[in-house]
Amino acid sequence: MDYSNNYSTTSYGAQGGASGGGFLPGSQTDSPSTGKRSYGKDTLRPVTIKQLVDAHHPHPDAEFFMIDDSECTQVTFVGQVRGISTQTTNITYKLDDGTGIMEVKVWIDAEAFADPADPSNQKAKPVEQGYARVWGRLKAFNNKRHVGANIIRPIQDHNEIQYHLLEATAVHLHFTRGPLESLQQANQQKALGNGAQSNGYNQGFDGAAAGTNAGGTKGLAPGASRAARQVYTTLMNAPQTHEGLHLQDIATRANMEMAEAHKGADELMQMGLTYTTVDDQTWAILDV
Amino acid sequence: MAETTPRITAPYLEQFSHATVRILGKVRQLRGEQATIDANGNIEVRLNRDAHLQLNHAVEIIGKVQNDLSVKVMASTDLGPEGAIDFNAVEAVVDATHRYHEIFYYKE
Repeated sequence: MDYSNNYSTTSYGAQGGASGGGFLPGSQTDSPSTGKRSYGKDTLRPVTIKQLVDAHHPHPDAEFFMIDDSECTQVTFVGQVRGISTQTTNITYKLDDGTGIMEVKVWIDAEAFADPADPSNQKAKPVEQGYARVWGRLKAFNNKRHVGANIIRPIQDHNEIQYHLLEATAVHLHFTRGPLESLQQANQQKALGNGAQSNGYNQGFDGAAAGTNAGGTKGLAPGASRAARQVYTTLMNAPQTHEGLHLQDIATRANMEMAEAHKGADELMQMGLTYTTVDDQTWAILDV
Repeated sequence: MAETTPRITAPYLEQFSHATVRILGKVRQLRGEQATIDANGNIEVRLNRDAHLQLNHAVEIIGKVQNDLSVKVMASTDLGPEGAIDFNAVEAVVDATHRYHEIFYYKE
């Protein structure tokens, strides 16, 4: 900041040479770092439009929505363009992905919009009845929901529609039934325990859900938070004595913040999966 | 047009009779106002005037399932030569749609 201020206020008497370097006046205002919002905690989740319609808004001013009980900020989806209306400040697209209809607003950068040579005008634009992919943020305005999009682009390869819907399903299942790895583990253990029971694709997920809750191989409930999962995996895998691991040790091994690890460990305790040993910040897994 | 159009294939027709659905299939026969689409089984469709189907192309149809399990087309989108579409993925999407319908459509 100092640097640019000095640049504009000093009078070196060499104004003619000054035009050679520095920033172009316009380029600084475009910088994304000027935004007030913190994007540090943002996630990008593939969703269906029905999930956006059903998403729970914790309070009217909240910057995020809840989908499957987890916070959701940025989303991406694929849909068929049902309408395009160009307004002075934005273009509103009506997208339909077969699960619902959602309005998508893309703000217009007036200068770039008017300049045919601008890179944004060289790219293909979504057309009516064509498919497009959107990246943006779900917003609620006057009880009506829309997505404020950063980017919208037409789909070139129609396999992307299927790809997206399957990805959205996979992520939905991840949040409602737990990560795939733990389900597979539980499945294997269940198969070992029960002898030759078929665990085909059809009953795979149901079988796994039952497996995690069954006795013997204790697992995590699908609703467990990510922190709890991380702590649990660390406790399961790290070499340790019967005294278990100290909070600090867990945090280091799992590469987590102390507070987060503490929260996760508390959650595990409440679920009855761990117990404290030498002090109240050292946990061991119950029943191993 | 209905807000929700579940993706189905031929085996689901009966279950979705009188519903508006979305079908992605291969164009097998064109007979004027009627056509046959292969979506894990043949489906007879009744075309509207705007429908421009091409043989051996993949097409996505939005339409209403009739009493005789034919489909009355409301809108159709040509998705190019059928070889460009992975129909295993299409089948998987239909399977997921009905197995995990909570993120795809409301079930009465």
